[in-house]
Amino acid sequence: MTATATRQGAAGPAGAGLSGGPGGGSPGAGTMPWVMAGAVFCAVAGSSLALNGVFRGWAWLPAGLVTTGGVLAAGAFARSLRAPAAVVHLVQAAALACLLSTQFLRSHSLLGFIPVPDTVTALGPLLGRARDTLVGETAPVQPNAAIVLAACAGLGAVAILTEALAVSLQLPALSGTGILAVLVVPALVKPESAGPLGFAAGAAGFLLILACSQWYAGGTPGRPGLSAQRSLAGGQAGRAALTGTAALAVTVLLTAVVPGFTTGTFPQGSRFNPWGSATGLNPMIALGNDLREASGQSRMTYATDATTPLYLRAVTLDDFEGSVWQPTPRDDQRQLGVGRMGFDVLGPGQSGKTTTTRIDSGDFSSPWLPVPYAPVSVLGLDGKWTWDPETLSIKGEDTNSAGQNYLVRSVTPDLGPAALAAAADPPRSNLDRQFLALPPVPDIIKSTENSVAGGARTPYEKALAIQRFLRSGDFTYSEQAPVDGGYDGSGMDVIAKFLQAKSGYCVHFASTMAVMARLAGIPSRIAVGYAPGEPTGRTVPSEDGVKLTEYQVDSRDAHAWPELYFEGLGWVPFEPTPSRGAVPDYAVTDSPQRPGRTSADSLDPRQAPSGAAAAPSAKPTTPAAAAPAPAQPARGTDWLPAAAGLLLAGLLAAAPAASRAALRRRRSGRPGGAAPWDELTDLAADYGSPPLASETPRRFAGRLLRGAAGPQAATDAVAASPGMPGPAGAPAEAEAALGRLARRYEETAYGRPGPESGGADEARREEARRDLSAVRSALRGRAPLLQRVRAVVLPASIFSRWGAWLRHPLRRRRRGHTGHSGWHAR
Amino acid sequence: MDFQNRMTLPEELDEPAQPAPAARPAALTPQDFLRASERVLSVINTVIDGKPEAARLALTVLLGQGHLLVEDVPGVGKTMLAKSLARAIDCSVSRIQFTPDLLPSDVTGVSVYNQASRQFEFRPGAVFANIVIGDEINRASAKTQSALLECMEEHQVTVDGVSYPLSEPFMVVATQNPIEMEGTYPLPEAQRDRFMARISMGYPDAASEMEMLQTHQSVSPLEAVHPVVSAAEVAAMIGAVQGIFVSQAVKEYIVSLGRATREDPQVRLGASPRAMLQLLRAAKAGSALAGRDYVLPDDVMDVADPVLAHRLLLNRRAAGAGETPSSVLAAILARLPVAAGDGQRSFGGR
Repeated sequence: MTATATRQGAAGPAGAGLSGGPGGGSPGAGTMPWVMAGAVFCAVAGSSLALNGVFRGWAWLPAGLVTTGGVLAAGAFARSLRAPAAVVHLVQAAALACLLSTQFLRSHSLLGFIPVPDTVTALGPLLGRARDTLVGETAPVQPNAAIVLAACAGLGAVAILTEALAVSLQLPALSGTGILAVLVVPALVKPESAGPLGFAAGAAGFLLILACSQWYAGGTPGRPGLSAQRSLAGGQAGRAALTGTAALAVTVLLTAVVPGFTTGTFPQGSRFNPWGSATGLNPMIALGNDLREASGQSRMTYATDATTPLYLRAVTLDDFEGSVWQPTPRDDQRQLGVGRMGFDVLGPGQSGKTTTTRIDSGDFSSPWLPVPYAPVSVLGLDGKWTWDPETLSIKGEDTNSAGQNYLVRSVTPDLGPAALAAAADPPRSNLDRQFLALPPVPDIIKSTENSVAGGARTPYEKALAIQRFLRSGDFTYSEQAPVDGGYDGSGMDVIAKFLQAKSGYCVHFASTMAVMARLAGIPSRIAVGYAPGEPTGRTVPSEDGVKLTEYQVDSRDAHAWPELYFEGLGWVPFEPTPSRGAVPDYAVTDSPQRPGRTSADSLDPRQAPSGAAAAPSAKPTTPAAAAPAPAQPARGTDWLPAAAGLLLAGLLAAAPAASRAALRRRRSGRPGGAAPWDELTDLAADYGSPPLASETPRRFAGRLLRGAAGPQAATDAVAASPGMPGPAGAPAEAEAALGRLARRYEETAYGRPGPESGGADEARREEARRDLSAVRSALRGRAPLLQRVRAVVLPASIFSRWGAWLRHPLRRRRRGHTGHSGWHAR
Repeated sequence: MDFQNRMTLPEELDEPAQPAPAARPAALTPQDFLRASERVLSVINTVIDGKPEAARLALTVLLGQGHLLVEDVPGVGKTMLAKSLARAIDCSVSRIQFTPDLLPSDVTGVSVYNQASRQFEFRPGAVFANIVIGDEINRASAKTQSALLECMEEHQVTVDGVSYPLSEPFMVVATQNPIEMEGTYPLPEAQRDRFMARISMGYPDAASEMEMLQTHQSVSPLEAVHPVVSAAEVAAMIGAVQGIFVSQAVKEYIVSLGRATREDPQVRLGASPRAMLQLLRAAKAGSALAGRDYVLPDDVMDVADPVLAHRLLLNRRAAGAGETPSSVLAAILARLPVAAGDGQRSFGGR
């Protein structure tokens, strides 16, 4: 049977449209590249389904599919032209570049798809945006062009990698790493981990790759394939699929039965943040993550002369015209110099008290400076800082808040219920309309607002009614419920779901109150910063001799609260979140929960059970003596570099074994007697008996299983008739196998050159495979445990190959039965 | 071992690539070859107990068209080995007992004036036979020994300017005692070099000696020996040996082995190119006797000591340190990299 016919036969059941090849001695690649590309596509595209949830919606999917499919199709085309593997992957990379250009940078590309220097220039800002999105936002992110570009590039790269592993290197089992790489992202980022859909689709694709490569194994182009063994190949494919499916089923069942798997191994809702830790509060409300962190980080201390602990406000979100709350930049209005902010906090006739606070921001890193409201001067800052007269938020222009130690003087107006009740005038006309603007509001919010605040007369009463409603027993504080319920965030639909589920955390309470206030005609905004934190028990003397009480805040104190505008009084903070923060005097109502005024008790989310069922009233009270806080909170995102390091270490550790396996696989497909012999010598080297340079094949073979035997014994080993029991314990079968391998190699290396017997070749290869495995098991049976492990994990033959390559990277190696120790240079 | 600056191979080292079947008479199949060689060996082994290796080597030398030097103490069967080999083959045998007064013409032959024809007639000497047994060769004078030189090397005798070819196959089996005695002349280096191999018989083991006493007490075992192969068959076997394939790798191994003997610091005189040639022939004969039609490095190693050891001269220091040519050669073999078979069937690079 000719090679062409064999390959056709093998390919027959796998797909239609057999192209027999251009004929002659060079059979075409046939359907194999296309089928393999299809399998890889199924795997990569399937696993990419898990990215839903990392991105909001499915808008990114077509781009991802087009990119993956295009790259693989280009590679398959190159393969069908029998291009070398390196060329195939170059073609794939070029296709990836073109596809990305035409999808995302068309106007910057030549003819709309050819990348030119301008394309690269335009790529920079996009990558910057993607980076900001990755660093700053939490999943699910709005799929903007930048992040989709990054995702497509990643998927394309994974497709190339997977195809290279499965086809070029013929390591289909390892091609799962590419799929795993896709699945790792949602597993890291998404609270519910990768999810069943993407996992199942990716796993199915992986099985498909395994099955297809098994199908084509031995029938690859240019090689005499499995002739009579077609049915065997089919059976193997079936077995492979069966084994894989069984393993998957066990995996899935196991995770269902064993607790701890259901929520994923990785911390939930984590940002995927490979470029360092921007641990500061993000204006885009990344609060939930900080709250859900098991351990606090970004420790920050402040010492104040105020009698009550302070809220530290970093940024104000006032723009709710889009889908989420976000800060209005107001870059044109911002004023430079925060040493003395020329802003009159107190209205005419209003009294207030001045507070001095010294803040050490520690490693809290954000462009926004956390300060108590309302700051009038900030001293001791490094860098250039600006402030916004409208919101009094302080922002670094070329710096951030990390490592700053600064003194804030702030003024708190004296507010009382009476004054607030009196402030019934409509807001001044020059107040930014932004504070009242709303996108289309779902009915449930309108009706809720109406039923809650409809009966109230003054803005103050309305505000109190809304706050009372949110702090009522109907609502529970939960950092987990929104994540589980899929309404984490601050959008309008999130608020609607929150009102139904009645469970959420500060972001939900604050944004709901702010929206309902706007519906009620009260200008509102959301302040983002930190709840008061805990006292450390220390005091810090100030410049003028006053003892400042020190408090400590960490990321678990991250908080958001609404500020409502009352004409004549200015912006007044409220606290609708049950169990968090402290309700100001003026806002205290007779609601069922009346949190104490002091900071640390009952307000600490650290003690809050994360389950949705945890009612605030049920929370244990922490005595204030719990302070001082733990001296060094563990860094929560340490697992990311650690995990990356572990992954890298794992890959490095697996590299020798993997390349050994690849080498063995390549050799097992090679015709002739030299490849099995090379494999045998490497095997012997792995088990600590490398051939000596001065050893002939049969002497080496004789020594290998008999230990130190004389040359005569060695000769006997090869000349011995098969089946003769070996004298020194080695199984006769292995002895005979060794003898056959040596004889075949002798024939190849020293015998008369003759034409390869094509038909018998496959049978011989099969025999060599059997012989090798017999010798291997004999060696393994003889070796001590440590050596067995080393032979698999750190095969000596691979290291000597690498060593030889390192010493002489350009030297062409000559095949030698003496293996690594007997390199002969020409 | 680096072959970049390889020496030129002796001519015949490159030559045997010619296809074997052409050189091999059609009648002789590999099975015939093996059967014939088995017959010869079994005959020798009935005569000499417990020395199968010596018998095999003797046959190897015969098939490799070389000459054999058997060296050992008296009475261990040197002459018996030579005689039994000669008897096993149906061919002419002559025996020369070398003595100090032996003349060269006794070996080669002499021209005698024929009165009747009034012409000089050549009367062939003892060397005109297929197998010449030279007993105690080192007892003859250098002059007589050198008379053997031309015969051994060129298979012909030249007397009075006329060359007389010797019949094929032609083999000299010489014996000598290593113990220096009165009136012996050590073989000059040039003559030693002409012997393909030197073997030592060694004492037989106790069982073999017992066996010998049992069976050989009355009649000489030689009496019972009848030829088992014909001279023509031997010639065909020699032809078959000539057709044995030698790969480039094995040739390189032989060359590197020769160079190693010359470069070894303990050796004063290394192996000559002729020695390399004879090593190759012996290896070919050895592989043929093993039933193979190609030479392995193992075949070279197996014959290296008998072929090379008697040609090596150690320097004084090595000799004083108790080294022997055999031990030096063994050390060289143990460290010399075996050339890998590389080019005969190309499978592409790694």
